[in-house]
Amino acid sequence: MVVSQEEHLKELAKGYRFDWKDDPHYVFEPKRGLSADVVEEISHLKSEPDWMRKYRLKALKHFEARPMPWWGADLSDIDFDNIYYFIRSTEQQAKEWEDLPEDIRGTWDKLGIPEAEKKYLGGVSAQYESEVVYHKIKQELDDIGVLFTDMDSAVRDHPDLVREHFGTLIPANDNKFAALNTAVWSGGSFIYVPPGVHVDIPLQAYFRINAENMGQFERTLIIADEGSYVHYVEGCSAPIYSSDSLHSAVVEIKAMKGARVRYTTIQNWSTNVYNLVTKRAAAYEDAVMEWVDGNIGSKVTMKYPSIYLLGKGARGEVLSVAYAGRGMHTDAGGKAIHAAPHTTSVITSKSVSKDGGRTGYRGLVRVEPDAHHAKSTVRCDALILDDISRSDTYPYIEVEDETAALGHEATVSKVGDDQLFYLMSRGLSEAEATAMIVNGFIEPITRELPMEYAVELNRLVELQMEGSVG
Amino acid sequence: MTDRTTFARDALPASPAGASFLRELRERAFEEFTGLPVPSQETEEWRYTDLSTLELDFEPFAAGGDAEDLNRHGLLRAAAVVGERAGLQIQRNSEVISTRRAGGLEERGVWFGDLEAAAAARPELVEPYLHQLVPTKRTMFTALHGAFRTGGTLLYVPPDTSLGLPLQTLTYLDADGGAVFPHTLLVVDRGSEVTFLDRYASPDLTRGFSDAVTEIFVGDGAHVRYAAMQDWGSGVTHLSVVRATVGRDAELRTLSIGFGADLARVENEVVLAEPGGFSEQLGVFFADGTQHFDHRSIQDHVAEHCTSDLLYKGALRDHSRAVYSGWVHVRPNAQKTDAMQTSRNIVLSEHAKADAIPNLEIEANDVRCGHAASVGPVDEDAIFYLESRGIPRAEAERLIVTGFFQEVLDRVTIDEVREGAEAAIADELGRVG
Repeated sequence: MVVSQEEHLKELAKGYRFDWKDDPHYVFEPKRGLSADVVEEISHLKSEPDWMRKYRLKALKHFEARPMPWWGADLSDIDFDNIYYFIRSTEQQAKEWEDLPEDIRGTWDKLGIPEAEKKYLGGVSAQYESEVVYHKIKQELDDIGVLFTDMDSAVRDHPDLVREHFGTLIPANDNKFAALNTAVWSGGSFIYVPPGVHVDIPLQAYFRINAENMGQFERTLIIADEGSYVHYVEGCSAPIYSSDSLHSAVVEIKAMKGARVRYTTIQNWSTNVYNLVTKRAAAYEDAVMEWVDGNIGSKVTMKYPSIYLLGKGARGEVLSVAYAGRGMHTDAGGKAIHAAPHTTSVITSKSVSKDGGRTGYRGLVRVEPDAHHAKSTVRCDALILDDISRSDTYPYIEVEDETAALGHEATVSKVGDDQLFYLMSRGLSEAEATAMIVNGFIEPITRELPMEYAVELNRLVELQMEGSVG
Repeated sequence: MTDRTTFARDALPASPAGASFLRELRERAFEEFTGLPVPSQETEEWRYTDLSTLELDFEPFAAGGDAEDLNRHGLLRAAAVVGERAGLQIQRNSEVISTRRAGGLEERGVWFGDLEAAAAARPELVEPYLHQLVPTKRTMFTALHGAFRTGGTLLYVPPDTSLGLPLQTLTYLDADGGAVFPHTLLVVDRGSEVTFLDRYASPDLTRGFSDAVTEIFVGDGAHVRYAAMQDWGSGVTHLSVVRATVGRDAELRTLSIGFGADLARVENEVVLAEPGGFSEQLGVFFADGTQHFDHRSIQDHVAEHCTSDLLYKGALRDHSRAVYSGWVHVRPNAQKTDAMQTSRNIVLSEHAKADAIPNLEIEANDVRCGHAASVGPVDEDAIFYLESRGIPRAEAERLIVTGFFQEVLDRVTIDEVREGAEAAIADELGRVG
């Protein structure tokens, strides 16, 4: 069957609500492709200190030298020469939504961000293409010394803090895509929470890609000082185009002694975005690090949020939901590296595949020598909704200490016929019944989300199930 | 690994007259051997086992002596003939030195004996099967095996034939610095039933090399039980591939027991090729000293309505290391698959290390698949409970580890094999103190 490109795009867009395109907003004409000149130009446009410029150029060399990963998803279609590595959409960052150009502002209104900010957020960062176009933090938080800013400003305004921590958890040569990010990073969030400060309401960042063949490379660094708490939430979306975009972020988090950091992601890229992200956190003595990672969209996702448990009594948790529909490969998971005594980790993964989609759990639990009395539990469940979809589980368990207690369990199944029959006998359609079962299946994750996001995730699941069954 | 190798072209064994296909196979495998790389830890398959320092300077051929030697070398004792046998073959070093068959086997069309002799006498039972499941080009070691194998066992069971007693091959290595290439080829035709035991044993050696291949063809409706008992002495490097294909409504139960060798890598693979097949893969190991065990498994569901169940249990002591990595593949269309994969490790000493990687790759939806893996010490609560009942700690540990293995040993239906394993575990535990 020959499908016209238009039909193909229509098919891709089915059920995806974020497929609007703004007219392009360029402050200058962007260029495709990557070179040292492009890296120099980005650094120059941001008026960066020399150390960052050099660091970027070093990272570019690493990127060029490293082979593509031989494992995981098929990345052979990524055309690095066809990507825009930097697009500046506004002259300067807005402090009020009203100050943004009208159609960019329209995008945020449609996404409901200004509304959410009013109701329940402590601060909002809105990134459009390469840069944060709107940024605001509640005055109360500002007053008690909480820093929440975009990364570009942080390099300028908090040079010592940035230089001390930037690239220390994910060095420039960590992997090919971390190297790429380090070379061309732009935007992202910088957060510093002073000792003992509890930020009770979440801070949010939202990432929007608008242009075709866009490369978005935000860079986030969060430092929660001793005994502090912060919850950071990020969301993302993009319109659907006939050719691919690339999102390759790096996120570094340090939860100092007794601190607690929760990082929640609802990733809903359109199905022409490659989402190749490196996320890593360090948890020091008695600290708690939690990744709540929802991957609903994208063409390909490869993302395994990891936690290095570096201090005695540190705890880590990864909650991962992955969905893959037509043409999607979602390779998600989590890693816990126990490098100190009495550390614990819990990884829970729920994945759903349908319409030929492929989900994967890829994880590692490692106990270093002398990290005695480490405990870890990994639980992976997968639902496969039809006979053309696929689910993979690749868990690695490496134990070098005899007092460690580790367990891994996984199941793969389909929606139970008897469950469906029961619900349908109560008058539900097959699609409604399936959506209800799937929502129940991912409930351990949604109950950890802020309420608005839980509702959103459940609605997404219902949308994905519509028109698909029966 | 250096280029220094004793496995040169002029050392290739001669093939018996009438088996020209064997000569061609050896030639081809030798070419492959010289072309294939040393497995690298950079690859996923060899990530946990380092063979870069293994020198391939073993003696390609060591004489077996004659059958009169059997008792003098304690071979019969090593064969551990507890029950009766429908057949017993003994290979010492590179040569089969004894094959005994129960009366009436030949009349019933069963062929049991030296693979080399079978290739000459009954090529139609060897050529279509040999190295079909484990191609020589799989790795440099299977290629080496294809080129330099001598001896080995063929068991062919014709249709609708049930052999009540087990058959066994003992492979015994006492030539220090020698290499053996045990090959077991089981061809069990439709509706037949058979139990086969492979036993590998040696005294402690300075160096020894065992490069083993087992290929099992389970015909439609056939029932096969296969147990491999690896009890090499120290100094031995053991690399083994067991691969089976299971026919329609057929059943295969395998058991892999590992106590010996310095380094043992055992790959156990089952292809459920036709609907209604059943496979059970059990594993039991106990590692101590500086032993390194690398266990790999595949449950490959190609056809629908098949069931597979894998359970590996192991204990580690001293500075030993064990890795379990397994794959469940459910191919598209293999609907109604029921697959389970479990790896449990109990770590008894501070410096022992265990890794587990149970993988699932599922391409059908109407399936039930699960896996579970655990690594941990002896449960302190259980020890506390037993101590509170007046049982000394060492004895309490012994009881708990014995109980840990019982779950898998209870499923071993061959009494003498189960009892042998129980005794070996008791023996290992007895050494603790």
